[in-house]
Amino acid sequence: MSILFQKRRKFYYALIVPALLLYAGALLIPLFGGTIPYSFLNWNLMSGKKSMAGLENYVKLFSDSGFHTSFFFNLKLGVFTIIGSNLVSFVLAYFLNKNIRAKGLSRALFFIPNIISAVLVAFIWTFIFSQILPNLAETMHWDWLGSISWFGSPGTATFTIILVSVWQQIGFLMMIYTAGLQTIPIDLIEAGKIDGCTGLRLIRDIQLPLLMPTITINLFVSISGAFKAFDVPNAMTAGGPYGTTMPVAMDIYKEAFVKYNMGYGAAKSVVLFLVVAIVTLIQLNFTRKREVSY
Amino acid sequence: MGETKEKGGILATIVMLVLGFIFVLPILLLVMNSFKPYSDMISNFLAFPTHFTLDNYKEAVARMDFVRVFLNSAYVTGGTVVVGLIVSFFAAYGIAHIESKDGPFWYILFTLGQIVPFHTIMIALQVMTTKFNLNNKLTVLIGLYAGFHCAFGIFTYVGFLKSVPRDLEEAACIDGCGAFRTMMQIIFPLVKPTSITIGVLFFLWTWNDFLMPSLMIGETGKRTLTVMIYMFRSNASSDWNLLIAALTLSIIPIVILYILAQKYITSGITAGAVKM
Repeated sequence: MSILFQKRRKFYYALIVPALLLYAGALLIPLFGGTIPYSFLNWNLMSGKKSMAGLENYVKLFSDSGFHTSFFFNLKLGVFTIIGSNLVSFVLAYFLNKNIRAKGLSRALFFIPNIISAVLVAFIWTFIFSQILPNLAETMHWDWLGSISWFGSPGTATFTIILVSVWQQIGFLMMIYTAGLQTIPIDLIEAGKIDGCTGLRLIRDIQLPLLMPTITINLFVSISGAFKAFDVPNAMTAGGPYGTTMPVAMDIYKEAFVKYNMGYGAAKSVVLFLVVAIVTLIQLNFTRKREVSY
Repeated sequence: MGETKEKGGILATIVMLVLGFIFVLPILLLVMNSFKPYSDMISNFLAFPTHFTLDNYKEAVARMDFVRVFLNSAYVTGGTVVVGLIVSFFAAYGIAHIESKDGPFWYILFTLGQIVPFHTIMIALQVMTTKFNLNNKLTVLIGLYAGFHCAFGIFTYVGFLKSVPRDLEEAACIDGCGAFRTMMQIIFPLVKPTSITIGVLFFLWTWNDFLMPSLMIGETGKRTLTVMIYMFRSNASSDWNLLIAALTLSIIPIVILYILAQKYITSGITAGAVKM
């Protein structure tokens, strides 16, 4: 132990206090003193009823078809968004890493949607889908385009939400893939080329295995991001039609702030938290194993 | 060989730029239409403005109380960046210097906060702020954001502080420099790139957030930008000319920030993700 530490021990501990107070108030107390205990209560804010429910809320979740719908919608949204955004962003990063000019501008163009608020992004696309496309269909007499109701059926509404989510996430994932591609040593690629490994084989056998750490990160980010989806569906479809495009976070919101079932909403929150934690752990474990070193 | 490579480079450059413009076409169409009178806009969304007008902006600014809403957002965001950075740096500095087992304990406690989605605590947070009458206060919002985001701040600062040599502080101590002054005048300037990175991310997370202010703020005069835009869309859903003007105005600060701090945004986002 250094002399400096012995001398300044109290000072160092005192430095943690401000952050700890805010952290406790914003996260620790709401989580351990709110969400978790509430989830064992039968508590409706409107009727004022508040009683112990034990595991009742959790049992109820198994037969709640609304929750199942939103859970499976969330899964669908997650899978398609993850695959779509990772594929496109990898291809973009791959080509933007090549010998081209104005890289900065191209990257910036693909990146900008990522830093705009998801609520604004949702409205930008609502403008496109509800105003521009119908107008275009009318002037060009494209009846097939005019007849699509973008938010009207569960299928099209899900499609638009996935499209917009992919559009927003591409820039971020592209940046990370770019950073990953830049860490691959040039001589490894050159050596591969000399051995006759080119084109897609070069990507598959050399670049992708070396990119495993980056892929781990991106899958982690997109999976946990998918389960946090709220803003885009909320602003674009408000969960409709008939609650078919409602992700879990929005279902929790409705349960607590529209139906005022605080206890049941809290139980759903705990489940969301556990799902995010478990999926993340499994995924990290899985991709870490496939990482190679050189 | 060299020549074909050069030509391929130019072709690829053009292809990427064209794709990039197609990618941001929704934003470009939005901006372009915001300068058209309503009748021109709805007759053809794809035409360039022939009667350039700022009327949409004037009316949107007036109807949304835009200046006030903008200032609310600026206050909350600025406050979060400053408070968030200070508490994160202080705590990280303390944690990095505690040489007993307490150091890792506090580090893990804060770091784990990063995996908690906001949605899992929003019910509890709303109940608690209502109970203690803390709703409709922008300053409370700053405290909550700082508390929620400091998990990431501390995590990132500690990672960087570990690489700062201790000799520097020992030398300063021998020269009679006090503990607080050592921290602020010697170490804090050294971590400036990290501070900018964390600050930029705090800015984006706060400025763009919708859920927290929509839960905590009910008073019209205290709304933040994202909440106001959302409300305007629900109340005046057919006034697209006004809404797109407001959307354009809301995007501008973020784009300016991006142009100014492109390097830090990129490095911050990559660093933030890669360190997991």
